[in-house]
Amino acid sequence: MITSKMPSLRIDQNDLKCKNGCDYFGNPQWQGYCSKCHREQMQRQRKAEKASSFTSTLPRSDQRKSERGLKLSSHASFSKFEEKRLRQSETLKKTNLLKFNVFKKNITDDHEISTERRQPEFKIPTAVFEGMKADFRVRFPSFPPQIDRDARGFVHTFILDVIKWAAIMNVDELSERVQKQYQRFMKHMETSQHYASVDSDARELLIDFVEKHAMTYLHELPSIVFSPSGTDDERQDRAMSERIQQLSWVGEKHLECKLDRNNAECRRLLYKAISELLGMDAARWSGAKLARVRRCARHVLRLAAPAPASADDLLPALILAVLKANPPRLISNINYVTRFCNAQRLMTGEGGYYFTNLCCAVSFIQNMTAESLSMDKKEFDCYMAMPASIGGSAWAAALSLCGATREAEEQSALAAKLLEQTKEIQREAENMANNAATFEEQIAKKVQDVLAKTPLEIKPRRELPRLRREGVGSAPPPTTEPGPARTSEPPALLNEPSVVIDETEKLNILGFEVVEERSPSKSPQLDRLSDLKQSSSTELLTPSPMVLTPFDCRSLDEVLTPDEFPDNIPGLSDVNYDIDLSDFSADTSLAEDPPAPDRRRTFDPFAPQTSKDSYKLLESFDEFSIVDNARESDPYEVVHRPDPFGSVLDNDEGRASILDDSGSPTAACLLPSPIQPQNSAKPT
Amino acid sequence: MTSGPYNYSYIFKYIIIGDMGVGKSCLLHQFTDKKFMADCPHTIGVEFGTRIIEVAGQKIKLQIWDTAGQERFRAVTRSYYRGAAGALMVYDITRRSTYNHLSSWLTDTRNLTNPSTVIFLIGNKSDLDAQRDVTYEEAKQFADENGLMFVEASAKTGQNVEEAFLETAKKIYQSIQDGRLDLNAAESGVQHKPASPGRPLAAPPSSRDNCAC
Repeated sequence: MITSKMPSLRIDQNDLKCKNGCDYFGNPQWQGYCSKCHREQMQRQRKAEKASSFTSTLPRSDQRKSERGLKLSSHASFSKFEEKRLRQSETLKKTNLLKFNVFKKNITDDHEISTERRQPEFKIPTAVFEGMKADFRVRFPSFPPQIDRDARGFVHTFILDVIKWAAIMNVDELSERVQKQYQRFMKHMETSQHYASVDSDARELLIDFVEKHAMTYLHELPSIVFSPSGTDDERQDRAMSERIQQLSWVGEKHLECKLDRNNAECRRLLYKAISELLGMDAARWSGAKLARVRRCARHVLRLAAPAPASADDLLPALILAVLKANPPRLISNINYVTRFCNAQRLMTGEGGYYFTNLCCAVSFIQNMTAESLSMDKKEFDCYMAMPASIGGSAWAAALSLCGATREAEEQSALAAKLLEQTKEIQREAENMANNAATFEEQIAKKVQDVLAKTPLEIKPRRELPRLRREGVGSAPPPTTEPGPARTSEPPALLNEPSVVIDETEKLNILGFEVVEERSPSKSPQLDRLSDLKQSSSTELLTPSPMVLTPFDCRSLDEVLTPDEFPDNIPGLSDVNYDIDLSDFSADTSLAEDPPAPDRRRTFDPFAPQTSKDSYKLLESFDEFSIVDNARESDPYEVVHRPDPFGSVLDNDEGRASILDDSGSPTAACLLPSPIQPQNSAKPT
Repeated sequence: MTSGPYNYSYIFKYIIIGDMGVGKSCLLHQFTDKKFMADCPHTIGVEFGTRIIEVAGQKIKLQIWDTAGQERFRAVTRSYYRGAAGALMVYDITRRSTYNHLSSWLTDTRNLTNPSTVIFLIGNKSDLDAQRDVTYEEAKQFADENGLMFVEASAKTGQNVEEAFLETAKKIYQSIQDGRLDLNAAESGVQHKPASPGRPLAAPPSSRDNCAC
């Protein structure tokens, strides 16, 4: 062994030189050669390997071909492919071996030179221990955490130990070493005080636990424990698989087992047993593989029911199951379990027993002769010469039928599941529809409640003072004006400017500055409007009474004494505010307009809405109409022209001028909202 | 994995060998099923081929492996023998051929088990005395010559079945006490399980070679 070389601290210069003696310094990474010699050495090695793999594979394949001359051509090509694959995997394995050789070298170097560079290349992924931790918590919830740590530590050393020695030892030595590790852990459990409270059954479970996690990880590594390098497990696997193919004609008659392939139950059991056998390859640690074998054997034993199951019945039936299953990597799996399963478990226990039976079945298949099937030698040879695809069609058919049945069952189960899901979805959809309906009802109810609370009353249109003035003429102030103002003083006061300001607002909506509006006065109506405009919000909003137009002065004078006036200015602005609200209500659709985005804030859902079309038209109006009007000499042209406004205006009163206050759609919609009086009532 | 009545300190592995149809399985079932009826009726089928017995105050779990007796499987059934502490060799007293095959069974057993394995010869179907083909004396003589223990039993009536298994266990336990059987050897077929930690071992393991490298 490597470690037999005594570690020495003194290193002679010759030790550092290339092993070929070419006077260059060697490197332990290159197995003691200098870089040049190492490369040459590697090339030589590779060539030798290639040659050996060819010589070892070719004669065998020739032999086999002569043996089975009737083999189908497709099968032959497949076997060629198999051959290639195997060769590839072998070279892969060798490179792996080389890799681990390097690794081994490093470890021994560590021993010899320094202890600082411990395991520089190899690290067990933390996922292994994470999984172990989780598993421990599930399986041994009552155990103290020291045991968990202890077990993990043991698995760690175990894995490293196996990997370290796998490169140096042959597989039997390694197997022995693994067994010693199991024993060491047992011993550890007996002596360590952590385990004092753990009874023997739990200890068995613990050692299984350790084995499971260590071997599960090692199983994944190529060529360490599963079909290890240095063995011909893989070749045997293939030989076995071919052998089983050849023996596909062997049926229940030959093995003298009482199986009835016409019996559905029997077929089903055999099918189950076969699936377990096939599943064995997927299991990663011996315990799981043994569990598969155990389940398989139980199915097989049930085949022999009702008689008490005995080994005399079990073995033949198991052989048949193996023949019909042709499990992948069978020999590798068996060897893996034999070598690295905890020997004590393999020796005793149900799993061990059935596994032993499986081993017997396999070796029986390997050594099957005419005598062992108690048939004529000639007949046997004849069967063996038969193409593999012909023989055993009866059982194959029966089993494939079983497989098909099972698949059909699975499919129907799936279909049923899907149906169930669909129903569920339907149910949910209905539920949702119901919910939506009730929601709608609720909303409707709420709306009605709200409406009931705040009924929308269409009040008769209040005659606006200036309209009346229009009707009377232009000069005299309306005598009726003070009347309503006096009967209900504050609303009248508020109402009056409200309309006025509405107008302003409308114009503002249209994007017109008050100043702009003033300058081009083409028609008397427009003039008046601009007058109103002038007299309206800007002036009202200004606290200074100096700017008030006679109209407003007058109206104010009617209500207020000059002394009171300054005090009332804020009140007036309040009024203004209220009116703004009502105005916004009219502007709901315009709220989306970029020029007046801030108005959105006071959106009033209960305000009367004008049709959107009118706003659109007003927008267009905003853009060009008035300006155009301003340029054109004849203002009436604009008014009567069948332009976009027409449609809107038609709604109200035909072809009236838009600028006509009474006819204006906005004037219509800007009627004081029902809320308005409440709001305006507040300040008073 | 239970405690209480299932606490045991040893596991012995037995194998039952003999020609096909001599009643190996029946003997096994007679022995193990009794356990189900007497000790623990609710654990039917709890564990395969096992029964816990008591020898000299020690609870011992017997793990009995039935083997296939057909001639054609003879060559491949060697792995059964590995690590058996006791071997029950069965023949049928009504069929001479089964008796004649005993010598080859014996050779196999001797070759494939360790020297301390206890071999017990059982002449089964003693209830069918009328059809007897092999006399008791003849078999007794064969047993004595080969240093085997011998009893005639009946799996059907249960006569002497218990005894055969118990005697074998006693003999194995005796060799453990004598130190002839190394508990640590995997092939011994005996596992020691200290039921309560700290209980002194009857025969402490003598030599344990830890890894010397």
